[in-house]
Amino acid sequence: MKSIMSSRRGLAAFLLLLTGYLFTPYFVTNLYHLHILNLAGIYTLVVLGLNILSGYTGQVSMGQAGFFAIGTYVSALLMMNWSIPFWSASAMATVMAGLFGAVIGIPAMKLSGPYLVLATVGFGEIVRLVLLNWTPVTKGAAGLVGIPLPTVLGFVVTTEEHFFYLILASLLAGVFIALRIADSKIGRTYRAVREDELAAEAMGVNINRYKISAFIISAMFAGFAGSLFGSFSGVTSPDNFTFDESVGFLCMSVIGGNRSIVGAVIGAFGLTAVSEALRVFQGFRLVIYGGILIFTVIFMPQGIIGLFKRIRGNFSVKETN
Amino acid sequence: MQFFLNGLPIGAIYALVALSYSLIYAASGVLNWSQGDMVMLGAYVGFTVFSILKLGFTSALLLAMVAVAFLGVLVQYTILRPLRERKAPPINVVIATLGVAIICRNLALGIWGPDPQILPSPVSSRPFSLAGVSVTPQDILVLSVGITLMLILHFFLKNTREGKALRAVAQDRYAAQLMGIDPERSDAVAFAASAGIGAAAGILVAPIFFVTFNMGASVGLKGFVAAVIGGLGTIPGAIAGGFFLGVVESLAGGLISSGYRDAITFALLIVVLWLKPSGLFLRKNRQKV
Repeated sequence: MKSIMSSRRGLAAFLLLLTGYLFTPYFVTNLYHLHILNLAGIYTLVVLGLNILSGYTGQVSMGQAGFFAIGTYVSALLMMNWSIPFWSASAMATVMAGLFGAVIGIPAMKLSGPYLVLATVGFGEIVRLVLLNWTPVTKGAAGLVGIPLPTVLGFVVTTEEHFFYLILASLLAGVFIALRIADSKIGRTYRAVREDELAAEAMGVNINRYKISAFIISAMFAGFAGSLFGSFSGVTSPDNFTFDESVGFLCMSVIGGNRSIVGAVIGAFGLTAVSEALRVFQGFRLVIYGGILIFTVIFMPQGIIGLFKRIRGNFSVKETN
Repeated sequence: MQFFLNGLPIGAIYALVALSYSLIYAASGVLNWSQGDMVMLGAYVGFTVFSILKLGFTSALLLAMVAVAFLGVLVQYTILRPLRERKAPPINVVIATLGVAIICRNLALGIWGPDPQILPSPVSSRPFSLAGVSVTPQDILVLSVGITLMLILHFFLKNTREGKALRAVAQDRYAAQLMGIDPERSDAVAFAASAGIGAAAGILVAPIFFVTFNMGASVGLKGFVAAVIGGLGTIPGAIAGGFFLGVVESLAGGLISSGYRDAITFALLIVVLWLKPSGLFLRKNRQKV
């Protein structure tokens, strides 16, 4: 991944894309479309964490909606009940999600394959059911209404356009952090764990510590995204955090290419766009969506980013796996 | 005691769904996320045959099983075989079966509409008292059909050629292939049997819940939980896990809290996974490679 940033062509393409994207609110004047772009940006943050977890360490989570929910509810409740400002609330929500990541990471380090999948599904469902039933605090199925807006340097973020820039900035920060993690010693160790746990352990890697840390990182990404999501939507309820939501995140991760950080961005934006574009098919929208998922995993086993790499051969992009 | 007994019929249904997961997992190592939707489709086909075509309960059960089994074979040959040939990573297989689930669910929504349908039970659901506890004929029907199916499956696996081939593939895919068994065909048999069993579970569960296009998600997940609690990939484990889960749910819902019932179930699951990843009822802690 480093090579994308360091190669001059990669950097130029990235800056060009970013500059173009900066002006999006000027030509995407349809507020609904802008709203979808903003949502895709928030989802990308979740998928970035998921890629570090599943793409780099090879642990699969089908419970990311649980961490996402914790981020949303913790930050929203802190802001609503104790008038804590957005950024502090968001930081606390991120840390709280990370703590839960450690809690689920401890049983998860012993598990793999279907067992790990099921443990994470169970976690996500427990979070949703607690939100649904802990009525005095979470308001149950009715959910939270009137989640306060974020403030940036004394400036209140209100409109879709404001949120566009806030989310874009968060997204860039998220990508930057994820790239730094992926390129660091930690990222390399993750890949070693994924490729051969026994060999990594024989080289003196404390596998359990790295596995749990990957869960914590992915949970923190989801938690921060959740805190943004709460303030962005203004309302939230347990229905926003179902198993289907977790499945959606996983699909974005795999379809984009879970072994790459850029893959998270492509997957989240690509799948959100496809899902919106398919609305013209009305009732058959999700049937076609399911077909696209199947087609992609059969014919692009490494996701869209894998396809790019295959087309470009061994060009400037160094193999990241 | 009453809560314990109440858990048995739903436990039998969970056991059937758990069997359908374990059978496919044992044969081909695939975690089939569309299994819950086979349950849903079984219920819908049963509803169509029973309530619209007005054929009897037995023919509804058999037709649903055959139709859904056919779909299972189709999924194996059109989706899972290409994935295996391309040596796709396990997560891709998971996504592919989730794709099948999404397609099934939304086709059902398109065909039968969003309103819940009622599949009436062929027997009364009025409880009567038996040795001091109340049971319903419906409960007895679910239990007897469920147990009959388990016995048929047992007979099939132990005594027929196809069943033996399936067990051989489950034990060692490569060696079975050397012995002249076609593993893809065995997988197809496993998918057909699993889908058929799932469809039967759908018909049995339909009088308890309504038939809806998204009923598969919850029943499917519970069946998967039961399979893992019992020991994924083993037949006795799936049956034991199913009944265990049914009873635990009934006790948790009756004695602790109905709202937190499922949360308790999942918490139990995570504890079981943590302490005994190979399942509660397996003596051997054998790593399936």
